[in-house]
Amino acid sequence: MSETVQVVSFKLGAEEYGVDIDQVQEINRMVAVTHVPRAPQFMEGVINLRGQLIPIIDLRTRFGMPRAEHTKNTRIVVTEIGTKRVGMVVDSVSEVLRVPAAQIEDAPEMLTGVDTEYIHGVGKVEDRLIILLDLARIISTSERRELESSEVESAA
Amino acid sequence: MSDEFFDRSEFVQYFRDETEELLHAIEADLLRLEQFVDTGSADPEIVNSLFRALHTIKGSAGMLQFTGVAHVAHKLENVFDLLRKDRMPLTESGVNLLFEGRDVLTALVHAAVGGGAEPGGVDEYVARLDAAAGIYDSTAQAIEGPRASDDDDEALVPVDEAEVDAFEAEVARMLADAQRAQSAVDAFLAPGAPSAQPAASATVAPAPPRAAGNGAAKLAKNATIRVDIDRLDLLLNLVGELVINRTRISDIAATLGRELGNEDAATKALATLAKDLSESSALLARTTNEIQESIMKVRMVPIGQVFDRFPRTVRDLAKARGKEIQLEIAGADTDLDKTIVDEVGDPLMHLIRNCVDHGIEPPDVREARGKPRHGTIKLNAYHEGNQIIIEVSDDGGGIDLARVRDKAIRMGVIADADRLSDRETMELIFTPGFSTADNVSDVSGRGVGMDVVKKNILHLKGVFDVDSVPGAGTTFTMKLPLTLAIIQALLVRVAKELYAIPLDAVIESQRIAASDVRTVHGGEVITLRGQVVPLVRIAEFFRLDAPRDPDKVMIVIVGVQGRQVGLVVDSFQGEQEIVIKPLSDVIGRIAGISGATILGNGSISLIIDVHSLIAAAGANRSARVEFSGV
Repeated sequence: MSETVQVVSFKLGAEEYGVDIDQVQEINRMVAVTHVPRAPQFMEGVINLRGQLIPIIDLRTRFGMPRAEHTKNTRIVVTEIGTKRVGMVVDSVSEVLRVPAAQIEDAPEMLTGVDTEYIHGVGKVEDRLIILLDLARIISTSERRELESSEVESAA
Repeated sequence: MSDEFFDRSEFVQYFRDETEELLHAIEADLLRLEQFVDTGSADPEIVNSLFRALHTIKGSAGMLQFTGVAHVAHKLENVFDLLRKDRMPLTESGVNLLFEGRDVLTALVHAAVGGGAEPGGVDEYVARLDAAAGIYDSTAQAIEGPRASDDDDEALVPVDEAEVDAFEAEVARMLADAQRAQSAVDAFLAPGAPSAQPAASATVAPAPPRAAGNGAAKLAKNATIRVDIDRLDLLLNLVGELVINRTRISDIAATLGRELGNEDAATKALATLAKDLSESSALLARTTNEIQESIMKVRMVPIGQVFDRFPRTVRDLAKARGKEIQLEIAGADTDLDKTIVDEVGDPLMHLIRNCVDHGIEPPDVREARGKPRHGTIKLNAYHEGNQIIIEVSDDGGGIDLARVRDKAIRMGVIADADRLSDRETMELIFTPGFSTADNVSDVSGRGVGMDVVKKNILHLKGVFDVDSVPGAGTTFTMKLPLTLAIIQALLVRVAKELYAIPLDAVIESQRIAASDVRTVHGGEVITLRGQVVPLVRIAEFFRLDAPRDPDKVMIVIVGVQGRQVGLVVDSFQGEQEIVIKPLSDVIGRIAGISGATILGNGSISLIIDVHSLIAAAGANRSARVEFSGV
């Protein structure tokens, strides 16, 4: 009985990423984002999702990549981690993939751009490599650090 | 499944809520009973009420095997049985012993509910109680009786059943309105003949089923049920959505009406429909408002819940300090939001302790000053607009400004040379760590005080003020909003985004020439009717990319606690009622922003935190002092 993980895969630049489908609530086209001043850089702002305020993270900025123009393929992946709901801006969403658990390896030390801290593992599907993200880390630990540093900066 | 037949924790919660109420009632009754000391006859109603309350506690505690609680309740119940049968006289020491018993019982209940260890001194107390009552008790036997409790509902807020009825009736009306709006829209969207749906359907007046609800209210005035506050919060949230959509529908109707302005035959039918839609939406608006108000009312509880514990506090403290003090309470039935009621208790307690300890003079001093020996503390609550005002006042010595000033200089808060107005001096008591008390008592004077009270009240979006007349007394005033969820706001535009400024902080809006802005110590100020007001440019505070207008400056003057700041914006966009939503905790706290709201067109507007912007203009205090000295 071989286990598989279902992931939603999406692209940032040339790389392909995936998040556990259980954590994805919905995928939306880009909408108007209300900018939140003095928030961390990667915090794109907030959107109104059927009466709920959802914070939006620009995943490129989050991973230290250059910002990209929004195109008709740009999507907001709305995720739910615990009680927190966060939307992530990605270049495009590809598909839902089944990755056999046996095909998931620990993150290698050197990976393009992305800090291994946010990576859960790397899944192999045929000849594609899918970088599986650890969402909880993306929105929590290091974000707190950035928040603190932005406060320090503003106090200065 | 486990072998537990009932969820014990749930029962423990009922027990806690029920007992807490009873302990409050016991205290109030004891205070009334105290008036009958040595008169030879106590009001049997009071004694019976006390007896029943203790009996209920005993029964509930017994059921949950809180043996300590049940034991002490039983002993006290015995004493009241003796009293009501006139077998025991009511003496001052006896009443003191009963007050003490109530406290012992409270501590035991807390320990039992919290799972903590039994507090010390219980056995010693029971022994003293036995010794006092034993001589009168010839028939030391247990008193049995039916349990007086019938409380099996979900716990927390008592809700007036009549209000719930009214609320239900309004939901029904509102649904009817929504259906009417829906059919108008359906007809509008239906292909073919749009004129088929006549205006008649929208003009049928909804039968007002409210009268029945009101009648019931008179019959069963005290009928209440308990509702979990989370459920009310959920309802309130849903109403928030309704409020948003209501605004949206009126927007659509207005747009439709505008677009259909031209007068050709084909659009005429559509124009009629547009009119139907706008009538329907007006109805919807009215009903939504009423629902919103009803839910607010359901969440409202009388401030008396908080006031109830103060008579005892004042009595005990006055005795301990050797003072004679009378507490007068007015407006205990003034309603405000449950969440606010929960928060004002501690600040009020602090103020009252302060009045007892620092305000009211000892009886001899009062007599020497030609005042009655009895000092009076007044606690008053009333509504004013959509705010509740709570005043705590005493007829004591007032605040000694010279002493406050001395102390502030010794603490290094102000310099010897600083010239301060009386008001500014008075406000020094809000400095953290400030206390003029020479010796620290167990009541107050440790310097944790006024600053904390003020901070708590600001946190509730309230205003806190002190006024004092030397020799005649001190009055503390807090103004609190009735609710924290929905507010009136002024919308302003800054660098293309809309921001909402809570209207209660707005004093006025002004358009002035850029040349009227002056610079004092590097900060921009304007002079408004002779007063110097520092400016905060919102675009710059938020680091937004917005060029300054070279000719004019649009300013919203906001004020909190007598401190004014002018917020510079790009334009004013009118007033609107908004539903406050917190920003996600993923974003964290952002200086200058207290939340967000969703506008009628679905866009988001951030709510400006006036307090933090005024604080940001921080240096203005010293700037003002120096400026006026020029």
